[in-house]
Amino acid sequence: MFERISRASISQEKIVLLIAVLLFCVFSVSLKGFVSSGNLLTLLRSVSTLGILGIGMAFLVLGRGIDLAIVAIYSASAGWTLHLANGGVSIWLAMVLGYLLALTAGVLSGVLVAYVEIPALFATLGMAAFVFGFVRYALVPLYVVYMPASGASIAWIGGGFVFGVPVPILFFALIAVLGFLFLRFTKPGRFIYAIGDNFAAARISGAPVRPIIILQYAISATIAYLAGIITATAVSAMDTDVANSSMIYDIILVVVLGGIGLSGGRGGIRNVIVGTLLIGILLNGMTIMDIEYTLQNVIRSLILLIAIVIDSIINPRDEQIAQQGDI
Amino acid sequence: MTVPPRSETPLLTMRNVTKEYRGVAALKDIDFDLRRGEVHAILGENGAGKSTLVKILSGAVTPSNGEIGLDGRRIHIATPADARRYGIAMVYQETNLVPALTVAQNLYLGDEKFFNRLRGTYIEAQQLLQSLNFPVEPTALVQSLGTAKRQMVEIARAVRLEAKIIIFDEPTATLTPEEKHHLFALIDRLRSEGVSIIFISHAVEEALEISDRITILRDGTRVVTDGAKAFSRETIIRHMVGRTLTNELYGRAANTRKVRRPGEKVLSVQNLSMQNIVRNTSFSIFAGQVTGIFGLVGSGRTETAKIVAGVIKRDLFHGGDVRLGSVAVRYRSPRKAVGDGVVYVTEDRKGDGFFETMSIAENLYIGQISSRESRGMLASVSQMRALAAVWTKKLNVRTLNDDARVIELSGGNQQKLVIAKALVQKPRLVIFDEPTRGVDVGSIAEIHHLIGLLADEGLAVIVISSYLPEILSLSDRILVSRQGRIVEEISPSEATSESVMFAAVH
Repeated sequence: MFERISRASISQEKIVLLIAVLLFCVFSVSLKGFVSSGNLLTLLRSVSTLGILGIGMAFLVLGRGIDLAIVAIYSASAGWTLHLANGGVSIWLAMVLGYLLALTAGVLSGVLVAYVEIPALFATLGMAAFVFGFVRYALVPLYVVYMPASGASIAWIGGGFVFGVPVPILFFALIAVLGFLFLRFTKPGRFIYAIGDNFAAARISGAPVRPIIILQYAISATIAYLAGIITATAVSAMDTDVANSSMIYDIILVVVLGGIGLSGGRGGIRNVIVGTLLIGILLNGMTIMDIEYTLQNVIRSLILLIAIVIDSIINPRDEQIAQQGDI
Repeated sequence: MTVPPRSETPLLTMRNVTKEYRGVAALKDIDFDLRRGEVHAILGENGAGKSTLVKILSGAVTPSNGEIGLDGRRIHIATPADARRYGIAMVYQETNLVPALTVAQNLYLGDEKFFNRLRGTYIEAQQLLQSLNFPVEPTALVQSLGTAKRQMVEIARAVRLEAKIIIFDEPTATLTPEEKHHLFALIDRLRSEGVSIIFISHAVEEALEISDRITILRDGTRVVTDGAKAFSRETIIRHMVGRTLTNELYGRAANTRKVRRPGEKVLSVQNLSMQNIVRNTSFSIFAGQVTGIFGLVGSGRTETAKIVAGVIKRDLFHGGDVRLGSVAVRYRSPRKAVGDGVVYVTEDRKGDGFFETMSIAENLYIGQISSRESRGMLASVSQMRALAAVWTKKLNVRTLNDDARVIELSGGNQQKLVIAKALVQKPRLVIFDEPTRGVDVGSIAEIHHLIGLLADEGLAVIVISSYLPEILSLSDRILVSRQGRIVEEISPSEATSESVMFAAVH
């Protein structure tokens, strides 16, 4: 009796990584200045916020959830921090308050999903609109909030360098490592995978499914806030209207492109990094080639479609593979 | 339809059929003949290749090698539509109907006229169902039907398509005994009308009862084909498992074995009710013995167990009393129940039993860290490995590799894993719901042995089953559930198949 059928050796993750490496090689040869250390740092820096938000999103997607409010939380909480600091509140207190706002929104999403049992898609869609609307109505009267002079003490977060490496890249790396360690080596991390794989089985096993869901949203809100502060300090301003942009799709793109299945339980932080790298290389190369923005969008979406098509050719959704229990 | 004379010339032939998945052969050089108007049972353990064989005939998979012939002509079945064209119909274990449509719509699914009048469809469907003597309302939604009636609809669909060959895949797994009799009568009738029937099953007695010929598969090869009369239970099982299981399974007659004495009372249920599924039921469970709960599907057994284990959420006040020891409990999530040592081993392992993307070790570890004893936040890989090593050995879970994902295991091994995942939580009350459904013969014996050991160790064990021999051979006490209530307690020394069944259906 055979029990094991060799696992697919070529995953979507590897395909995307391969495409990224190929693009990198092509650009290195064909584009002047692409491989310079300055450009490579610019490349990484330009996608580090996206990558950080992607990791926050990954925490939800791995648990078969989604957080459409992540961009609203990112922009609103950082925007309110700047606004408070502009109003004379000390920058540190402003940051604490901004973080509390982000955390409250995240926990609220979690409660809606875990206890009120609203599907994550609708709960977070509503939460996104609410956070943006509430902050603009009650807290931040302007679309764009600028960094006050008191913000100089935190300017290093987005603008600093350590040994020549921009701090946002280091934050991306740090969050990736922490995220990896959390998912792999803590019990809540294991539960996130369990919930994503089979919610009913996790519940029957006695896993604390509801607290874990709330934890997931709290983590993604925390990561969103950090990404917001990085952006705000990097450009010395925060545009709260970014909540209404297509940024949320880019975040989902890097998560899915890297191979984290929307059906939950499959993938990890590595996949987000791979997806982010591909997008970074692509955007940077296209910018150097001076390709117009609308065409860039077409190319980016084609890359995603190609990755998915190749994946489905190499790993066909064979009914037999899906039902290994009874051959 | 004309009735061809029953003959010895095969209607369908398979020669040297092989199917490989990524280089691993699920079927090797199978020769198979199906005669006109015969019922041909295909038996084998899980993983023997039954499903693959059937999938080849129904067009779900294409063979890697070999030929298939129909009426002496060579045919290729590349898609399910091809199979249908050749008159091969399939009645699935889990039925293949659209739940939100009516019976009639399902019967004519895919054959609707462009301007489809429902009334006409209903009348035709009514005539078809009546001619088959099926008590199914054509206007009823399929989702409102029970398993047996859904199966009738599937059979009616096959008859409507004038199938020459009907393949039944584990048709009796979810049927009550009465429904099974109906099914067998129908199979008889189809046979007398010249339809050839392939009958896939785990259940040896059924195959002996219904079939003309039997083919036994083991590890993807054909072991033997012969007339059903040439076989007995023992010879079939020996061919299936390749070793003799001398009545190890259900042979232990209750009156020849020692019945365990009840220990302290672990669980008492008083006047438990939930809608009209569980109706005012009361019973007690004692430590150190196996309590078998027998009942037909729909008698509220599973729901009662799920309420006790917190899987079904109850409201805060109504619906009776559940006491664990002397403490009244009202679990609103399984986590609380697990914390108090009450675990439920599901009847639907694929639906809510295991985590398919995870390895055996990871699955067991989720069970471990879900229990109350689990302290701290950090996961321990070494602990996880140790857990897997202990339990795969203890339950004889056969894998080539500790990292094998659960989805790659056979049904029996999956079931053992789900059981192990519950046992790592060190429960004092274990509820097994259909512990051997869809499990191969060898694993059944091992699971039964394990259940006995648990009771010997002093645990309170509940076994819910709709398979009488299982209840009779395992139980120290037998409770019978009927229409949402425990109606009778029978001591195993007095219990016979007839008396238990009488209580369950009467």
